[in-house]
Formats: sequence, structure tokens, C-alpha cells
Amino acid sequence: MQMRSRNLAILGVLVAALILAPAASAKTIFGSGSSASVPYLEALFKGYKKVDPKLKFVYTANNGNAGAKDVQDGKSQFAIQTRPPLPSDSGLSYSKLFLDGLCIAVNPQNSVSGLKVSQVKDIFLGTITEWSAFGSSLNTTIAPFGRFSTAGLYTFFQSAVLGGQTQSSNVTALDKDGEVAVAVKNNTSGIGYVGLANSGKGSGVKRLKLNGFGCDPKAIKTLKYPLSRYAWLVLPAKKPNKAATKFGDWVRTSYAAGKIIAKAGAVPAFNAKKPPKQK
Amino acid sequence: MLGALVCGVLAFVLLLIVFVFREAWPSFQHNGLAWFGSGGNPDQQIEKIFTSGNLLQEPVYTFHAWPIIWGTILVTGGAVALSFVAALFVSVFVVEFAPEWIRRILEPVIRLLASVPSVIFGLLGVLILVPFIGDHVITEGNRRSVSYIVSLSGYSLMAGVLILSLMIAPLMIALFADGLRAVPRGWLEGSLGLGINRWRTFWKIGVRTARPALVAGTVLATARAIGEVVMLAMVTGGVAFAPNPADGLIFFVEPTRPLAATILQTAEELTSPPMRQTIFAMASVLLFSAVMLSLAGWAIKQPMKRYGVRA
Repeated sequence: MQMRSRNLAILGVLVAALILAPAASAKTIFGSGSSASVPYLEALFKGYKKVDPKLKFVYTANNGNAGAKDVQDGKSQFAIQTRPPLPSDSGLSYSKLFLDGLCIAVNPQNSVSGLKVSQVKDIFLGTITEWSAFGSSLNTTIAPFGRFSTAGLYTFFQSAVLGGQTQSSNVTALDKDGEVAVAVKNNTSGIGYVGLANSGKGSGVKRLKLNGFGCDPKAIKTLKYPLSRYAWLVLPAKKPNKAATKFGDWVRTSYAAGKIIAKAGAVPAFNAKKPPKQK
Repeated sequence: MLGALVCGVLAFVLLLIVFVFREAWPSFQHNGLAWFGSGGNPDQQIEKIFTSGNLLQEPVYTFHAWPIIWGTILVTGGAVALSFVAALFVSVFVVEFAPEWIRRILEPVIRLLASVPSVIFGLLGVLILVPFIGDHVITEGNRRSVSYIVSLSGYSLMAGVLILSLMIAPLMIALFADGLRAVPRGWLEGSLGLGINRWRTFWKIGVRTARPALVAGTVLATARAIGEVVMLAMVTGGVAFAPNPADGLIFFVEPTRPLAATILQTAEELTSPPMRQTIFAMASVLLFSAVMLSLAGWAIKQPMKRYGVRA
């Protein structure tokens, strides 16, 4: 009996040590929001280890609008959002981080290489349903893939392309940015709106030119590409978390973060062009 | 001590029901019975409800959930019917006819299948079954016939039903097999002794006696099917569309979205008060179905108790 209680006590101490040890040595900040920004954030979190090795990030990709709500409720210390602030975002401060493009992607077997924004609108409002209407080699019906109304990306697409209208019922709505890319890759007649990172090399989809401009960093940086947009850092307006604010400043302005953003597929907007001089 | 625990659990369940219905009330109050009816596109209604709360406007509550309820009935009903037949034959085979070595392999495999997380089934669906249905089951003619209303891309009722059947069948098999094993051996031997063949004996005596277990297994599996979220959200197409049997065989490959998946996909819109109440209204319908299912299962089992086998 005594032996058993001693074993239990040792076990208890070990469990407590396991729980307390990381808490004592590392600090964790919680973030949530855009799923389209996950590929960039993963690279940035990794790169920030050089600046603050003890800081740990936990990021939940529950889509932009939900992330903003998490910050309002105090559940997250920061959020990443892909649409500009709305009247409902009371108590939040938005700051631009970097530029991203919302690409219109099709299956590589589709011969179409570019569309106008008005044509994309016709597709996602269900007005035009045949690829032949756009001079494609495919003689099939269009299979449009999109996102749910909860995604910040959808809100952006709705205002920038659909003129505020709701996407048609013939659009298959999926939960995450990557799922849209996979659906377009697997469907010859597919078309979808996908973030820059999930439509790059190896994604199995082809980006279309929009109004004559490619969904590439060059056109996005000059804001010539019609669906260029900023990724926003969302913090509470009052008493924002210091570590999250510092991370945001680093992402926005540092040379190192600019390099990481560019490598991950997005476009640095405000980052230093040259590395800081060594003292 | 045990009495207090039981009272605590009962109080918790009661509180849960009261809380969900209280939150849901404004949505039901505004729509009345029309909440369960059809009219308009529920996705557009959801968007209006969401934005009305978020843009600080007058709250909008108009919501007609029929396509979503119909989607739930089709997916759950289809999967339960399909897996019931399959599970019955498999469990009869496992209990009565399978050689010992097959039984030793089959039973752990069935248990393993029952414990596979639904997201894995969802991934298999998205990467294998959905493209297969899109490429080999749906023809271009099918797609053209409904292209202005829905997109037939493989994300469909069929994908949902097939994978859900695979998910709930192991649960049914396990419960059916336990019920069949509990049939007194003497009853079966008596029948065999009278010269009646093995299959007929087992079907007429074993399966009939184990009916309460079949009901219990079906009720549990139905509850699991109604509540399934992740996999269905991944493969059914994410559109609040009511597949129409009048469309012919296309009906099976039309997209839909059941209640639980709708709750998951709109849960991120809790920021908006009218949307929160609409989400709770959907949750209360699910909760009510679960309670009704349990009661129906209990009621069906009552006249069967005289057969001696309980589950």
C-alpha cells in the first residue's frame, strides 16, 4: 500500500514537472484566422525563432472572420485576416502585413490562360456554365469551387469580383483554401479562387491571368493584378500582447521577414530592402 | 452517492436541452413552422442573417431549412439502410458460419474500422471516391442538365452515403454479433435436431430472437450517422441543396449538406447574434432527433422482450 502511494506521488511529481517545465522556459502566444495565410505563417513562425527562440506560436486556421471574433473575445492574442476592417470589428486594430494575391486557378488540362474579372463573375454567379464560351479546348460544363461565407477570402472575393452578390448555388463550397486547390487539380473542368501560396508550383493547378495581369508577385506588388490584397494583422485595440505586436512589426518591416515572405510565395510590402548593417 | 450522480447527470442533460432551446427560440419564433419548410436558398439566407448581425443592422431571421433537413434525412437514411443489410449478413456470417481463423481476423478488423477517426474517411473520400464519382459515374450530359442550378463534381449525396455506411457498419456489426451470440444455443440445437437446415434455423430463430439487439444497434448507428460532421462536410459538396428524386439517377450524385455539417461550417459565424440563434435552432433540431430516436428505439424494443434476448 505504502509502495503504491509512493509510486503515485512520484508519478504526480513527474506529470507536474512535464506540465510546468515548458511553461517556465517558453512563452506561447495564440493566434487564429485565415487558412490561406497558413503557408506564409508557418515559414514566418519558423524564421522568428532566430529573433526570439523562447516564443512559441499556436495558430488555429479557423478562417479570417472567426479569427477576428477570437481576438474580440480574448481567446486569441492575434488574428490574421484577408479582408479590410468592417464596422463589426469594434475593439480591434488592423495593420497591413504583406501583400497576397487571390488567384483564379484552373486544371492544367484547360487551354484557357486568362479571363476578365467580369467573366469570373459570370462563372461564379452561374450565368455562364460552359467552358466553350471562353474559347477553351474543353467542351464541358464549368465546375466552380469556392469557399464558405465564413472565410475572409470569400468576403474579399464577394466584394472584389461578385459586386457584393452571393455566389451561385452551383459553386461547390469547401472549407479550406487547400481543399479548393485539390478539388480543381482533381477536376478537369474545375475553376476556383485560391490564395497565392496554395496555387504555386507543385499544387497541380494553373493560375489564370486576370484582365491581362498574371497572379504573380510582380503584378501584385504594383497592385496591377485586380485581386491583390493585404494580409492584415488583427490585435485588440486596447492592451495588445507585446510579443504579438513585436512579431507583427518584425513581419512588416524586417529584411529577414521580407525574404521569408517572398520565399513562401507572397509579396513583401513594407520590408527593408537591405539587411541591417552589422555593428 | 450513486443516486446523486444520476441526479447530476439528469440535471446536466436537462440544462443542456433548456439552454439550447432558449438560445434557439428567437429563430423559431420569427419563422414559425416555415423554419422547417422550403423557400429560397438557405445559403443566401444564412449570409443575410450573418451580415445583418455583423453590420449592425436590424437582425434578419428568415430561414427555411428544408433542403438541409432533407439532406440529413437522405444521407442518414441511405447510410443506415445500406449498412443495416450489410451488417446483418456480415454478423450472421461471423457468428454462425465463419471458420474460426476467419473470425479471428474479421473481429479485430471490424473493431479497428469502428475506431478510425472520421477525418481519415473524409480524406479518403476527397482524394479517391469524389474524383472517381466525378470522372466515372457522372456523365457530361448529367452535368449539363443541371449546370445552372448545381455543379455535379463528385461531391455528392452518394459519396456521403457510401462513406458513412462504411463508418457505421462496424458499429452495427459489433452490436448485432453480440446479440446473435446471446441467443440460447439450445433453441438453435432444438431446431437443427428437427432436421431444419442451418441457414433457416439461424435466420428464423437466431435473427428473430436477436431483434432487440438489431434495434439497439440500428438506433446507435443512426445517432452516430445523424451527428457525423467532419467527413460529411468534406465530401457532400457544401451546398444547401435538396437532391430531387424526380431528377432520376442524377439524384444520387447531386450535392447536399446535412444539419451537423451546416452547423460546423457556420459555427465561425457566431459573431453575429441572429446567426448564433439560427445555429442553435439547427442544433436543437439535431438534439430533438437524438431524443426521439432513443425513445423510438425503446418503444420498438418493448413488444420484443418476450423473445428473451435483451440489448
